[in-house]
Order: sequence, then structure tokens, then C-alpha cells
Amino acid sequence: MHDRFTRYLLLVPALVIVLGTTLWPLVSAVTTSFRNWRLKRSPVPQGWVGFDNYVFGFEEPEFWNALKVTVVFVTLDVLIAVAVSLGLALLLRRAGVLQSLTRAVLILPFAMSPALIGVSFRFMFNGEYGVLAKGIGWLIPPLADVIWLASPGYAMAALILSDVWHWFPYLTLIFLGGLAAVPVETEEAALIDGATPWQTVLLVVLPQIKGVIAVALILKTIFALKMFDSVQTLTGAGPGITTQTLAHYVYTIGFVHYDMGHASALAVVLTALLVGIGMFYTRLVMPPKAVAR
Amino acid sequence: MNARSPLASAAQSAVLLLFFGMIVFPIVWMVLTAFKLPRDVHSLSLNFSPTVKNFGIVFEAPWNIGLRIVNSVVVAFFTLAIAIPAAILSAYSFSRFEFAFKRGLFFLMLATQFIPAVVIILPFYLMFRDLGLLDSRTGLVIVNLAIVTPFAVWMLKGYFDAVPVECDEAALIDGASRMAIIWRVIVPMALPGVIVASVFCFILTWNEFIFALILTRDKAVTLQVGLVSFRTERGDLWELMAAAGVFITVPAFIAAVAIQKHFEAGLTGGAVK
Repeated sequence: MHDRFTRYLLLVPALVIVLGTTLWPLVSAVTTSFRNWRLKRSPVPQGWVGFDNYVFGFEEPEFWNALKVTVVFVTLDVLIAVAVSLGLALLLRRAGVLQSLTRAVLILPFAMSPALIGVSFRFMFNGEYGVLAKGIGWLIPPLADVIWLASPGYAMAALILSDVWHWFPYLTLIFLGGLAAVPVETEEAALIDGATPWQTVLLVVLPQIKGVIAVALILKTIFALKMFDSVQTLTGAGPGITTQTLAHYVYTIGFVHYDMGHASALAVVLTALLVGIGMFYTRLVMPPKAVAR
Repeated sequence: MNARSPLASAAQSAVLLLFFGMIVFPIVWMVLTAFKLPRDVHSLSLNFSPTVKNFGIVFEAPWNIGLRIVNSVVVAFFTLAIAIPAAILSAYSFSRFEFAFKRGLFFLMLATQFIPAVVIILPFYLMFRDLGLLDSRTGLVIVNLAIVTPFAVWMLKGYFDAVPVECDEAALIDGASRMAIIWRVIVPMALPGVIVASVFCFILTWNEFIFALILTRDKAVTLQVGLVSFRTERGDLWELMAAAGVFITVPAFIAAVAIQKHFEAGLTGGAVK
């Protein structure tokens, strides 16, 4: 039957695109990572240097700074975003005017561009006239005189806040989907048996969506690890390099210093990290049976 | 749940209202800023005389947002025009056929999504420099395919799986070719899914920033990168940034709201299974 070939032919266009636009660059980055290639000095690659770019890369204090910034950012960002969205999703289960109003706007932050979010939050966190800086200062007087984007800790807080704002409504949608599959009866039974509403949520509802929670945690972690756009437009990695994530560090080495070998080595390290977490995610989402339909 | 105290439900309403405010406030504030004169931008008062001048200024030199809009639209259009048909074909094959390395290939498609953009762009930057494709829309379309295509294959396979195989078989008996089945049976039946996947890919491409930041300088600058130019030696021109922001946001919001109903089912369907 001609279907024997059709099945492969149909795969060709997408496979060519995917191989050409993601795997080829990856292989090419690995190759470049073993060469000495500073674009400012030479338009063509220089000699092979073995693992020098990696060794040198790990010796740079900026690398460890970026790694530390990334770990701090990812940890806080993921935990806050997932906790907030889980709480909101639980509140949104019931029907009501406020519920449907809030549900209706959940998709908006997700559709907004990260670069624009960075710009908007930079405006709102401006020390002199930023509406968020002023609003927070009014609610919490000790923070009134903070120049947010000029102080390392507060700049990180602003970065996390902006990213949580971007993602928590989307994660809420994912959780709402998961919660919709939880039978109401389990909850009612727990309440009749005398469980408090808190106990019911913690011990009956949440365990039933732990798969969805795991997916949300890993998905958010991956996106947080890739964080670049709003670092560039909100804090510019500053003050100094105190909010420079790994992705932004690779960008700086590659496209500010134009050291292609060093940047490629860093890029390979970052990819290994992401693909590792990504594979874990894929296994979780896609148990072996799911693909073989 | 039943028998809640009025206090608890009042507290709940207050929390919901707070969430609603948190979500819409940054958007509202940006839109308000877009209607402000420069002298009102630094004031937090809502009592200002609105102007639409900013929406005109951004079209003038040196901002030329008209050109940026054209670039963003052209790049998004061609990216989707290539990625979606290619993804439809392979999603169909993944959905309907068994073949060697199927699981491995599908896994590979997904795994590419975890490669950070900054890695993809390094070799492409060098290649485009040699080919003279820096600062070109063609170059942007090529790299955007990297983020859009695997995602589209993954989403579309889920939607195609939901179309009963009997539909294919009935058409096969009637003598239809596989191509005819895909385009005249499967795509029409899974049309909401195809639209949702396309809208998602549109939002990804439209909002793409790092590729355009690195690859474009002048001619091919997109709306997203155009935002950066409002940071001048005179300081940040917030009211113009906000006006440009409105142009960035409106198409994405329209697209997102159009698929809102299918949205939850679409993404969680793929994620929870």
C-alpha cells in the first residue's frame, strides 16, 4: 500500500524545519564552543581550543553570578506563580459574577509581549513617578523611599513580580482545567464526614490534581530558565549585573562582547540544563503509552 | 460547598476583586499613558486632558512605527503560512500511522522546545551575516519557525487524535487520497483546534523579541524591538512607548479573546493527558 511511504513523506516538511532550525544550530553551537572565535578580531573561526571555553567559562565570576541569579529567580518566581495561581483557581471554581469577570481577563497577560511587560513595569517601578512604586510605598510605608530598579534586591523583586504577573493567570487556566476533572462528590463526602474546608482542599482536592501541579511547576521552571526578554527591557540585568540571568549572560557574551566560542560553550551548558529538565517534563506529560495511540 | 459565613464570602469577593484589579491594572495604566501629553505622564492623577496625538507621533520619523507594523505582520504571516501546513501534515502522520522511531521522533520534536532562543540565534547570526540576511524579514521568518513548528505539531496531533479514524476510513473507501483526507476531512473536522494552534503560534511569533533584537538593525525592526528605541538621550518617552504598546497589544488580545472558549480545553487537554 502506498501509505507505507506517505506516512514518512508527510513528516518531511516539519522535520526539515525542526532539524534545520533547532538541531543544526545546536550542533553548530557545540562545534563553535571548541573554537577560539572573537568576531571583533576575526570574521572567520580561529583555531580549535579543546575545552578552554568551558574551563574559562566556569572560571568567570560573572558565570557564577548569573547562575546564582537564575537559581534565585527561578525558585522564587516558580513557587510564587504556582502558589498564587493555584489559590486563584480554587477561588474561581464556583459560579458568580466576580468569578466570570476574573476568568474573562485571565488570558490577557499571557497574550501580552514579555518585552512590553518589561517596559511597562519599568515605567511603573520608576522611583520618582512609578505608580506601583508609589502604590506599594503608600500601602507599606517602610518601602516608600525605595528606588526599586536601583537596588539589587528590589530590582529582583520587580523582575519576579512582572514575570508572576505575566504567568499566573495562564497557570490559573491550566489549574482550572485540572480542577474541572475533580468529581464534586469527593469533596462533598469529605465535608459530610466533618472535614473543614481547608482540610478538604488540602487532603482531597489537591492530591487529585497533583499531576497538573507537577506539569505546571516544570513548565514554569522551563520558561523561567529561559527568561531573557523582560530582563533586557525591565532591569537591563542591573543594577550592575545583579539581575543577570544565564540567558542574558549568554546574550551579553555573544552579542555585546562578540566572543562566539565562549558564548557557544555557555549556550551548550544552558541547553543541557534545560533539556534535562525538559525530558523529565516530557516523561511526566507523556507516558510511553500516550504516543502509541 | 454550602453554608458559608457571610464574612467568609465577603472576604472571598474582596480577594477576587483584588486579583481582577491586579490583572487588568498594568494594561489599563499603559492604555491611559498612551493618551497622555508628556507633561501628564509623570503624574499619577487620573484628571488629565486626554490626547490622541501620541498615536500619530509614533508613525513619524524617527519612530516609523508603520514600517515596524508591516514587518511584524509580514514576519508573522509567513511564519504561520509555512509552519501551520507543515505541522498539519506531520501531526496527521503522528496521529494516524505507526512507524519506526515514532516515539523518538515525537520526543525529539518536543525536546527542541527546550533549547533556549539564545542558542538557536548564535549560529543563525553567523550564517545570516555570511548570506547577507541580517536585518531581513526572511531571516526572521526562518528563526521564528524554530519556536513555532514543534509547538504546532504537538498541539495539532492532540486535536487530530480526537477525530475518529472512521472518518478517514470512510473517505478511503470512497477513493480519496491521503492528501484529500487531510485537507477535506480532518482539517475541517478539527478546525477549532487548527485555529487555536494557529492563534497560539501567532501570539508566539508576534511577541518574539530576542531574535529580532539580535538580527535586525533598521529595515526589518519589528514592533517589539521598536519599543527599545523610545529610550532616548532625552530619557524614556513613556507616552510613545505606551502608544506603541497599544499597537502591539491589540492584535494579540483580539486573537486571544477569539479563542478563549477553546483555550482551556486546548492546552490542558494536551498537558493533562
